Amino acid sequence: MPYFDYKTWIPRIVIGVLIAIFVILPVFTTSVITLSIFISSGIWTIAVMGFTLVLRTGQFSMGQAAFMALGAYASAILTVNLGMPFWPSFLLSGIISGIIALIIGLIVLRVGGIYFSIITLAFGELVRIFAQEAEGITRGVRGIIPPTPPTISLLGFDINFAAGNPVPYYYFMIILVAITAIIFWRIEHSRIGGTFASLALNQTLAEHQGIHLMKYRVIAFTIAGVFTGFAGAFYANFLSIITPFMFGLWQSIQIMMMSVVGGISSIVGGALIGATILYTLGIYLSRLPIYNIQYVVFGTVVVLVLLFLPKGTGLVDLWGKFWRKVFREPDEYEIPEESEMAVE
Amino acid sequence: MPLLELNGITKLFGKLAALEDIDLNVEEGEILGIVGPNGSGKTTLINVISGYYRPTMGTIYFNSKKISGLRPDQIAAKGIVRTFQSNVLFEGATVLESMLIGSLLRYKTTDWQAFFETKAYRKDNEEVVGRVIELLKTFNIFNDIFLPAAGLSHGYQRMLGITLALIANPKVLLLDEPTTGMNHEEAMFVVENIKKIGEQGVTVILIEHNMKVILNVATRVVVLNFGNKIAEGKPEDVMNKSEVIEAYLGTETI
Amino acid sequence: MPPAEILIDGLVQSCIYITMAFGMVLVFSILGILNWTHGQFYMLGAFVVYYSITAAGIPFPLSLLISGIIIGALGMLVERFVIERLNAPGYGMMYVSVATLALIFFFEGAAGMAFGLMDKGLATVLPGVLNLGSFSVSYQKIAVIIFTLVVMIIMYVVLNRTKVGLAIRAAAQESVAASLYGISVKRVSLLVMGIGCALAAMAGAIMAPVYTINPFMGRIPMIFSLLAIIIGGLGSLTGAIVGGIILGFLNSVIAYYVSYLSEFVLFMLVIIILLVRPQGLFGAPIK
Repeated sequence: MPYFDYKTWIPRIVIGVLIAIFVILPVFTTSVITLSIFISSGIWTIAVMGFTLVLRTGQFSMGQAAFMALGAYASAILTVNLGMPFWPSFLLSGIISGIIALIIGLIVLRVGGIYFSIITLAFGELVRIFAQEAEGITRGVRGIIPPTPPTISLLGFDINFAAGNPVPYYYFMIILVAITAIIFWRIEHSRIGGTFASLALNQTLAEHQGIHLMKYRVIAFTIAGVFTGFAGAFYANFLSIITPFMFGLWQSIQIMMMSVVGGISSIVGGALIGATILYTLGIYLSRLPIYNIQYVVFGTVVVLVLLFLPKGTGLVDLWGKFWRKVFREPDEYEIPEESEMAVE
Repeated sequence: MPLLELNGITKLFGKLAALEDIDLNVEEGEILGIVGPNGSGKTTLINVISGYYRPTMGTIYFNSKKISGLRPDQIAAKGIVRTFQSNVLFEGATVLESMLIGSLLRYKTTDWQAFFETKAYRKDNEEVVGRVIELLKTFNIFNDIFLPAAGLSHGYQRMLGITLALIANPKVLLLDEPTTGMNHEEAMFVVENIKKIGEQGVTVILIEHNMKVILNVATRVVVLNFGNKIAEGKPEDVMNKSEVIEAYLGTETI
Repeated sequence: MPPAEILIDGLVQSCIYITMAFGMVLVFSILGILNWTHGQFYMLGAFVVYYSITAAGIPFPLSLLISGIIIGALGMLVERFVIERLNAPGYGMMYVSVATLALIFFFEGAAGMAFGLMDKGLATVLPGVLNLGSFSVSYQKIAVIIFTLVVMIIMYVVLNRTKVGLAIRAAAQESVAASLYGISVKRVSLLVMGIGCALAAMAGAIMAPVYTINPFMGRIPMIFSLLAIIIGGLGSLTGAIVGGIILGFLNSVIAYYVSYLSEFVLFMLVIIILLVRPQGLFGAPIK
């Protein structure tokens, strides 16, 4: 039998099958609840990918949800207050969010470590407070109701975004997540991904190897801002509402949790796993009869996952471990006996 | 025209003068040794040249253009690259990964070209990876390219530090005590390679404690003590000067 | 000049922020991490005191001590079983942050389950007011101020005049050298976490009669303590005190003049401080 690199291809085929299942899922179920769960998971996946990308440059942003808010409000204000049609406003929402990320990033990314984290936390709160208080623009705590996207006519079919029909939103989400994932995956595995990582692994050394710290930090932060903005705009549209409390500190915290629990070794994979699992867990727990137990369980699960996964890994690393076990490969690279470099 | 000119370089930390009014000219192609007892300011000097510190007073010119005050990545891009005594590694990365992520300066293609993996980038990348492997082989760490760099012995971590500096396309190479943690053979191996690097046209500034290395490879030596330059000249001459011996009394052997 | 009531209120708030910020800075100095659950220990302290008085009839001062001891012990458990394991090489501060953030959910949910979500009021333990001419101050609020003074004096004595305090200060400044002198950094970490959480709990306890008690009452004090230690400087105990004072008054006064802007101004202030002088007033300068 001709050599078939099964070790590479079987995991990929499995992923391909999973993707295919997701794509044709609406054929099997049009339940609003099920599809909504996946739509929401997809949205948070995008936000988590943004967070992890910024983390790759060594910066721990506690305000990513603020960019979702910015994108959502931008889109809502453009359509409702300024009468722009949906699709252009959606595109602009990501761009506006990105521009704000760029400006904020230029000011704030000079600072590192915990100071940066607290600044992003404060920034997130400022966005929320602004949304609450600037009644003239944002209608304060009442929020804005964005209009539903117009019906699209495609190949003789009408794609109707009416409320109660989650299927078009589902495919919109799949396309959005796919585009984001492809771009982030490419970033991670191309030269610029290595450049980002160098900043996180040893900032001083990286700079002395010619890597411009601010430039790459700002690039990562801006890219994250753009896509997180799109995610926010889409989500607000899907839920038909945007209020100041939807994308606040607690959502930023959840994004962080999803990223770390999912695993930061793979931007796309970790985000997908972390967002989907934690979001679904949260939804499932909220159904439990005893109110409040959801928070207890959720908190416990996150802490337990962190404690029992091996150092510095997340759930996504279990995927690799699983396949190595199946193919019976060693986990660590073994030092060949003859190497003179073998450390005692 | 000297390649690198330091004029009146002073570096103060609060009231402490780590460097005091240093004037130094480095000619192209020479191998300049910098020696002095501990605390004499040798590493501070490298830090100032490489842009890690801003000089409190004084200027530095490279090819007649002012570089003092520039960022480290700008100075590295101009061709002045250094090694580190401590903090030498990319945490958690393997030997190969370390070299790859540190090799940005050797590429001729832009980040966009890299992202879209254009033909030009692929060719560029092949050359860079080839050069990386060549360097790793030369410095005997090729067998461990998939090992975490932190698992190497200190001597071999230094080798990695040297290869990292070399992949960054240096015109001037600042080596900060490269042979620390190496035994005699390894140290002489580094000496041989420094000579080869010099022959390829790279100017080398070498901080060393190991006098055998200095005497073996340096074309000229500068002696620092308490942040001041106290002697300068050919290695054999300088080593015998009374001020130098006095400065070293009890701290170093030849 | 705002009315005296506002200033007194500012002072009372300052006291709480001082106590909590002090605890946070202690933990940060030794463990190198921010304990995001700090606010929940404040909340639990209030609940302990509530039940101790209403269900067990224990007088307030004793209840206060009990809440400090119980919640301090709880803090030590958290340190031993969660933080210590995640603060090791290979993990790092990020994992501790995520874990302590997750514990916020845990503790709030647990408190909700155990105590219910309804606001509880603790009857004023020290009824009556002190009349000072044009305004009056409730004895309860005076108690808060006195409590804080007493706690700070005790902390000063412990840290500067006892062996234990010396060990703590040594470990905070230079943990490697301290361990070479025989100081077990692990033990000190445990102790400091206990002290820090006890302080938070007692702050919550002393405030229990002043405002209402519910599982979410710890969130705002936590954020404000964080702001206080930013102003004062992250590693500095003096900074915690000064920052707490500044913040308490700032918050009270600004809220008096422009109610909806106070939060905004405070967060802006924090951002500006972190950009311009991240080490705050008393922190060690960073490169």
